[in-house]
Amino acid sequence: MTVVYSLENVVKERLIDGVGFRLQVPRIQIRAEENIALIGHSGCGKSTLLDMLALILRPDTSDEFSLHPVQGDNHDVAGLWRRDRYSRLSQIRKQHIGYVLQSGGLLPYLTVRENIELPRRLLKLPDDDSINSISKVLGISRQLDKLPGLLSAGERQRAAFARALSHRPSILIADEPTAALDPITAHKIMAVVMEVIRGLKITLITASHDWAHVYKMELRTLRQEAVAVDDGKVYQSSFSD
Amino acid sequence: MTQFSNIIRLSFRDYSHEWRMSGCFILALASVLAPMMILFGLKFGIVTTMIHELVENPANREIKPIGSGRYDDAWIEGMRQRDDVEFIIPRTRALAATIQLKSTSAKRIVSTELLATAPGDPLLGGATRQPRNYFQVVLSHAAAKKLNVNSGDEIDASLARQFQGKRERVHLPLEVIDVAAAGVISRNVAFVDLELLIASEQFKDGRAIEAFGWQGNTGGPEGRMYPSFRLYARSIYDVENLFSDLEKEGARVKANVAEISTVRSIDRNLSVIFWIIACVGAIGFAFSLGASLWANVDRKRKDLSVLRLVGFKGGRIVMFPVLQSCYTAVLGWLLAVLVYLAFEYLINVFLAPRINLDRVLCFLLIEHFLWALALTVVIAVSAAVLGGMRAARIQPSDGLRDL
Repeated sequence: MTVVYSLENVVKERLIDGVGFRLQVPRIQIRAEENIALIGHSGCGKSTLLDMLALILRPDTSDEFSLHPVQGDNHDVAGLWRRDRYSRLSQIRKQHIGYVLQSGGLLPYLTVRENIELPRRLLKLPDDDSINSISKVLGISRQLDKLPGLLSAGERQRAAFARALSHRPSILIADEPTAALDPITAHKIMAVVMEVIRGLKITLITASHDWAHVYKMELRTLRQEAVAVDDGKVYQSSFSD
Repeated sequence: MTQFSNIIRLSFRDYSHEWRMSGCFILALASVLAPMMILFGLKFGIVTTMIHELVENPANREIKPIGSGRYDDAWIEGMRQRDDVEFIIPRTRALAATIQLKSTSAKRIVSTELLATAPGDPLLGGATRQPRNYFQVVLSHAAAKKLNVNSGDEIDASLARQFQGKRERVHLPLEVIDVAAAGVISRNVAFVDLELLIASEQFKDGRAIEAFGWQGNTGGPEGRMYPSFRLYARSIYDVENLFSDLEKEGARVKANVAEISTVRSIDRNLSVIFWIIACVGAIGFAFSLGASLWANVDRKRKDLSVLRLVGFKGGRIVMFPVLQSCYTAVLGWLLAVLVYLAFEYLINVFLAPRINLDRVLCFLLIEHFLWALALTVVIAVSAAVLGGMRAARIQPSDGLRDL
């Protein structure tokens, strides 16, 4: 399998709520079509790592930070950050990465359909039936013309997944996407999302702070690999064995 | 381009989605702008009306010689070339510039003052035609009324003199080619070609006028000298300077200098007061809008972070608050114009008559509204750029966690 992400000695220091925090990534590799869970307690640095993987947070230092979203398309992310190539980073992110936030992050002034269409519009992708089909799979076809404020939490999260997947990215990053949902709804949504991801051959990286939940609801059924984050240190290990 | 058009669309959608907040911004802007417009409307209306009345009435721009002088053609031509002179034409002696007019439609003979005229005569601003020869005349409204004639009618003009012990009277047919507007001059006046005025004076002096076959003495002094002139400054603002120059030349003249000076002083003082108020208002408005937009960007950092996340560049994100500020500026200006127009109507229709003024007290020109719009947009955009720069600096990862 192609290595999608390759990180070595990546360090990021942040000031969160006035408290200094240091994330160290000795070495992780994420392969294409893998499903990766970043597991760790709140404040351990999962989101920081996710943001760096999503190219929205600049690492302070790194020996290696490369991204190969599709075969033959290699990006030296560390070099792009060093050379302040924000437009290029934005372009790579826009094209290859879908991002789902804990609260969905839907724009409240756009309808669900317009939210889902937004990444496609920015990439100037032609209008096709993909919005309708992904909405149908995720069970939000009847909500497309509503504003996000009128949806339930579960529907909002489905719409957020639809937006993140609408432009067919090769990588999907989700930051505790089901944390605000009840376990049954969370399981239903993740099951559907996994089906879509398998069909589209997408690499999935999610974060969760609930070890038990991950183990019960996700790892057994969904995960192949897990990356543990503890007190700013990152450890990669396989759960699939 | 796609990003730009998308930002326009998204910023407007957000603006209309948050209509309550947007409405508050619009009201805040209009509440500053409308009083300033009313204030300026009053200042402009009162002063402009006064100035307009002064300008409209050529009498206020006229500089009149006192008594008799000696002005030759060269002096008249020299004055005519000055930029601050709108019109000048010689006058003959008052007694020699009187003619008797008679028409077939009126019983009485009307003794009429002869005034030379030429193209550009402010007294004939409303007349469409000018006398081009000896036989054409433009009558003042009073003279035409007494003679009961209109444009196109023919009248008989007669001049009388004592010559070699005998009383002589000559007649001249004149065509009325136009009638001057009623407000221009209240006296009985016949506006004629300068040559006819001079011929009239020469006839009364006993000289022969070959063009009409009038007998008399031949020969005479070389070169013409005129005892007086009719002079109008180009604007009321030129009167004082022109008046002063003529006095320096030794001419005894009079003009409406005091009244013009008073109006100009009022204009200056009101302008200073207005601009002080306008500047304080504009600074307050700029700070208020800037602070609001700054706070607005903070409030919207989550949404702006999402826009960055889905692929909008930082430079485009700057446009988001800037465009929303433009919407506020245009809509606030529009509301202020509506409020202003309502007050303008109330002031002019209800207040002006109560203080016994029959003129417009408050009004603005189209260009004033457009200037107000341009200034409002510039101030609003300048203030919004601060917020926009702040928006551009928000990294997606900074705003997303608050969602």
